[in-house]
Amino acid sequence: MINIRWYKVLNDLAGNKTRTLLIVLSMAVGLFAVGVILSARSILSRGLAESFAAINPSTGVVRTGETFDEQFLASVRSMHDVQAADARRNLAARIEIAPDEWKNISIFVVPDYNEIQVNKIEPDTGAWPPPEREILIERAALQVIHAQVGDTVRIKLANDTIREMKISGTAYDPAQMPAQLDGTPYGYVSTETLDWLGESFGFNELYVIASNPEDEEWSRQVVNQVKDKAERIGLTIPMTMTAEPGQLPMDDILQAILALMGILGVLSLSLSVFLVVNTVSALLAQQKRQIGVMKAIGGSSLQLLGMYLVMVMAYGAFALLLAIPLGIYGARALSQSMAYYFNFDLASMDIPMQSIVLQGIVGLALPVIASLVPFISSLRISPAEAMSLYRTGKGRFGTNPVDRMISGRNLWFARDFPVRSFLLSLRNTFRSKGRLLLTLITLTLGSATFISVFSVRSSLTSTVDEMMKWFNFDVMITFGRSYRSEELQQLARQLPGVYETDTWQQLTVRRVRPDGSEGSMIYMFAPSPDSKLISSPGLAEGRWLLPSDQNAVVVSSALFIEEPDLKLGDNIVLKLYGDEFTFKIIGVSIGTSFGTIMYANYDYVSRITDRAGESDALMVSMSTHDPESVLSASSALERLYESNGLRVNTVDTMFVERAQAEAIFDTIVSLLLVMAVLMALVGGLGLMGTMSINVLERTREIGILRAIGAPNRGVAQVFIMEGIAIGLMSWLFGALLAVPMSGALNLAVGTSMMGTPLTYSYSVSGMLIWLVAVFFLSTLASYIPARNASRLTVREVLGYE
Amino acid sequence: MTSLKSDPKNKKKKLDKGHWISLKQVVKIYPSLAGPVTALKGIDLQIDRGDFAVIAGKSGSGKTTLINMISGLDGLSSGEIWIGEVALHQFDPESAAHWRGINIGVVFQTFDLLPTLTILQNVMLPMDFARRNNPPQQRERALQLLKQVDILEHAYKTPSALSGGQQQRAAIARAMANDPMLLLADEPTGSLDSSTADSILDIFETLTDQGTTVILVTHDRDVARRGSRVITLSDGEIVHPS
Ligand SMILES: Nc1ncnc2c1ncn2[C@@H]1O[C@H](COP(=O)(O)OP(=O)(O)O)[C@@H](O)[C@H]1O
Ligand SMILES: [Mg+2]
Repeated sequence: MINIRWYKVLNDLAGNKTRTLLIVLSMAVGLFAVGVILSARSILSRGLAESFAAINPSTGVVRTGETFDEQFLASVRSMHDVQAADARRNLAARIEIAPDEWKNISIFVVPDYNEIQVNKIEPDTGAWPPPEREILIERAALQVIHAQVGDTVRIKLANDTIREMKISGTAYDPAQMPAQLDGTPYGYVSTETLDWLGESFGFNELYVIASNPEDEEWSRQVVNQVKDKAERIGLTIPMTMTAEPGQLPMDDILQAILALMGILGVLSLSLSVFLVVNTVSALLAQQKRQIGVMKAIGGSSLQLLGMYLVMVMAYGAFALLLAIPLGIYGARALSQSMAYYFNFDLASMDIPMQSIVLQGIVGLALPVIASLVPFISSLRISPAEAMSLYRTGKGRFGTNPVDRMISGRNLWFARDFPVRSFLLSLRNTFRSKGRLLLTLITLTLGSATFISVFSVRSSLTSTVDEMMKWFNFDVMITFGRSYRSEELQQLARQLPGVYETDTWQQLTVRRVRPDGSEGSMIYMFAPSPDSKLISSPGLAEGRWLLPSDQNAVVVSSALFIEEPDLKLGDNIVLKLYGDEFTFKIIGVSIGTSFGTIMYANYDYVSRITDRAGESDALMVSMSTHDPESVLSASSALERLYESNGLRVNTVDTMFVERAQAEAIFDTIVSLLLVMAVLMALVGGLGLMGTMSINVLERTREIGILRAIGAPNRGVAQVFIMEGIAIGLMSWLFGALLAVPMSGALNLAVGTSMMGTPLTYSYSVSGMLIWLVAVFFLSTLASYIPARNASRLTVREVLGYE
Repeated sequence: MTSLKSDPKNKKKKLDKGHWISLKQVVKIYPSLAGPVTALKGIDLQIDRGDFAVIAGKSGSGKTTLINMISGLDGLSSGEIWIGEVALHQFDPESAAHWRGINIGVVFQTFDLLPTLTILQNVMLPMDFARRNNPPQQRERALQLLKQVDILEHAYKTPSALSGGQQQRAAIARAMANDPMLLLADEPTGSLDSSTADSILDIFETLTDQGTTVILVTHDRDVARRGSRVITLSDGEIVHPS
């Protein structure tokens, strides 16, 4: 037979099921959020690193203008500073995704798919390796080409050959950017198929692992050595790339997401800390008289402390029992869907010990610490005071400034409004100002997080708007070489529906660093600064190009992620067609790091590249902008140029581009929605729990109100009104706090993704959604316990505490 | 009714010579928002063993304050309280709680049984706090006490299932659990009808007959008449020391 006092603990837990459930749920929901976010974060970052390491990733890529053979590959492999090298043929082609609608596709040709040493490609479904005259598609790319395994698709090559090919399976190629993120699907064929496609075999891409792959600077030097070697045998090198060590192509977005999850993890952690502290102190407030009675019949502080600590730890243990398994389940589901979206496999779904330990600490140790403070202060008051109905000084509303403020006496603006009586009722709801403060902080944090998550979402949309705003045209066509600008425009104007045209030059450039090394490829767009079809893109800093500008460039903010020594106003040395030119950075546009872009003045660039009057890109604006007519116009334009013997490289429509840009943000947005729901759950259940516990705490008062003749309905109404008032207050404070909070989130997401904060946009809809939620939840939260309490008889109520 | 004392030959029963409880110049000042309130203004009082002392007076006269001083539920502002050789005013709250648990039983107007424990468990709790006996022995004694206050059949019910009078009987059984020499009751009949109140007062009378010293607070003249002596308070001072 155990000691009687433990029965008290047990019976309190079991006998007061509503309260136990509320407390356990409030604690559990916070712990759950912490578990999901922290575990998913660690599963993802570890899985990412592991699955990347598994493919033996290249540290550098060298693309050649002409093809090379096995012999050259062997000589690269034998280089002292090269640990491993592999080569492929990368074929630019077009794939028909709908009748007469063609999309760019990169087709890789590998001699032996089972012997790849660098950037391994794995079999996924269907055939392996690619059968003759058939094609495998990267598994994430099927959705982009709207096709399925078994379908037959038409492929058009640069040599104008069109072939029908069966998609006989999928491959997994984590070294590539997931197709839905950069819009380019990938296909894989055998060397025999290449032959059938009318191309002779030869490599044009070299994948290199430097002897010290962890050292990015060293890798860059090795890539340059390889490039020099290739140039010595007469190959032209349009592009080299050096990867950041150990990073998948979409690492920037994932890092942004992980940063976001980190911040939200900390937020939900502090939210659950407040929930726990709040719940525990509400419980102790409620048990104040019982504690007094037990002291009166001889209970020592130590004995009582032991009882309440066990009780509080039991709540925490129940909460953990719910939160840990649910958190594990949630973390796995979340990481799985993220991994699927970013197209990498999670080798292990092991939950990190730290996040369980952290949950344990928050769930068990924290309630103990949280209850020690109010408990010790409750021990300091005498049993007589604990049981007395007198309201005296300590811990209650007195004459200090905070109390006076809460009393509303000095709120001049509130003099003629019911604010003062509202504040008075708050003083009633919370017999202690500490509890009022705690509850408000908890609910405010929840509100602010929810609204901030929505704000980051709307900021992402604003950022895309800002990025796309400068395109005043509907279709952009790039050509295989430069043509006379006049000729390009004249042809386009023959097409009905074409409203306006303009041209620019587009070239790839590389930064030459002060130490002589070269940076990765950058697209340089050189339009006329006064073109009607381009207005200034969204600028983070500086200004847009003027017609009088000479060697001025506007660079994308993402450039600074890769070249951190640069800033606005600096000079940058760029290599254009083999020659070095110095430019001055006059502006910084907002842009992601997928294909870093810079802008320069057409007049200047065409002069220094000796191509005045020529262009290789055409912009067309249509008189009607709906997707259908733009699409048919773009196909018509493509046919028109080809029938006139011009080599068309790519045809892009702006609405597709926009969708592409949005797709890049889509994962973050959907993740944010998951987080918003999680936060709403934490905040909402926290709100309900806190409110309900507060009403429970006042059961005795309800009884007294009833005893002096207040009708049931009236009593319940008072409490519901107070519940709503507190909910609304937390909503108001949360809406304000969301301003800096979403600013910080925008900074974190934007900086890791684009090197500049997102374009700020406060989500009014998020604010309103939360207002409705708060209204609904606080009504519900105070209605149920208030109704229950007002149904009790006076004697039951007085016997309750 | 049988004896509530576990051992009638208990040494505590042996009557000392002279006064047993002795209050000297007891002052209690409460802090409050409106300034300090002097609830007791220098009380001198002696109570003998076996007395059934009643503290009477109007509401707000300081009765509860005075009884809380004697029980040690609250500390005094100045003065001395002796119970036998024990200087109560020198106790810190912790030792006061421990000493009270063994030597004093308290009964409240609102009964204050713990709502989630059964009547039996409520009566066992003080023995648990005082670390008296093992649980089976505690249970045996609790059942015996409940039998003596005539509510044995309610032992396994929770307090809310009992009438006020029955709850007060249980509260008295709980107060007697550790066999205290002193029983303090603050308006124990204040929430009860007069015939129920009478039966509760009968229990107190029996207890005094068996040697327990009882101090009872009331504002009711009829109740006050049951005491062996009456101390009347008015505005924090004793009016008619008997
Ligand atoms: N905790 C307290 N704080 C402030 N004043 C108190 C407190 N307790 C009692 N008093 C005041 O002390 C006086 C005596 O109260 P009390 O002992 O409760 O009287 P009684 O029990 O005779 O009704 C009253 O004036 C009361 O207002
Ligand atoms: Mg009183």
